[in-house]
Amino acid sequence: MVLKVHGLIEKWSHKSIIGYTDDETVMLDFDNTTFKTVRYWASKVKKKFRLGGFIILKSSKDCYHIVFDRKVSWRENVRIMAWVCLLSKHMKVTGWFILQCIKEGSTLRVSPKREKPSPRIVFRCGEENGQIESFLKYRKLIKNIIRKLKAD
Amino acid sequence: MSKKIAVYGSFETHVLIKQRYWKRRKDGFMQRYWKKTRRMKKVEMSGRYEFSGKGKDLYKAVVKAHRLVPKGFVDVSAEKFLKHPEKYGSEGSWIDREVES
Repeated sequence: MVLKVHGLIEKWSHKSIIGYTDDETVMLDFDNTTFKTVRYWASKVKKKFRLGGFIILKSSKDCYHIVFDRKVSWRENVRIMAWVCLLSKHMKVTGWFILQCIKEGSTLRVSPKREKPSPRIVFRCGEENGQIESFLKYRKLIKNIIRKLKAD
Repeated sequence: MSKKIAVYGSFETHVLIKQRYWKRRKDGFMQRYWKKTRRMKKVEMSGRYEFSGKGKDLYKAVVKAHRLVPKGFVDVSAEKFLKHPEKYGSEGSWIDREVES
C-alpha cells in the first residue's frame, strides 16, 4: 500500500518526484506569489512574446506553474525566462531559472510531493492546441503511471 | 526528442571509500594518490533521470527508477534504460528531502 490519507489530501508515499521536462515549451514556476501577480506576469509574457495562450496550475498554497502554448527554441525560451526574472525581481523564479539553464530544459512537477497534491489547472487563457496540448498529454501519461504505481 | 519525463529527488546509496596515500617521486617531491578500497559508506545524494520514449517503455522505466537510484544526472531513452538498468542506476533508496525541480 503506497497511498496514505493525510487529512483530506491523499499523500504520495513514494519519495521520488515525477515531472515533465521540455526545452521547447515556455514554463515558469512562481513560488510564494499570489494568483493575481502570477496571472499578471502570464498575460504580460503572452502579449509581449506572442505565445498564443497559457494555463496556470496551482501546485500548493501561493505556488503556481505557468505553461505557454507556442513552440519556441531553447534559445528563445531562455530569453523569455530571463526577461521575467529581470523584470519581476523574484528570487525564487530566478533560482528556478538558473537550475533550468544548467539542465538545458524546463521541468515542472506533476506527481504529488509529501503533503502537496499534484498541481491542478486553475486558469486557462487563449489557444491550447500547441505545446499546452502536448503538456496535458504527458501529464495524463504521468498521472496514469502514478495511478498504476499506487495500485501496485 | 525534447519532451521527457523526469524522476528526481534525494536518495541514500553506498559508494566505495577512496583512501589517500603519499608516494615519493623520482624527483624528490611527495605526490598524493588515491586508491579505491573495498569498504563502502552510506551517502546522501540527489540526482535525476530524464526519460524519453513511448508510453509503455516510460511506464516500465519509471517503475524501475523507483527501485534503482540514478548515477548522477541520467539523460537516457526509456528503451535503453530498460535494456541496461545497472549501467544508469545503482542500489539505494529514495529519501524525503526538499529538492528543487
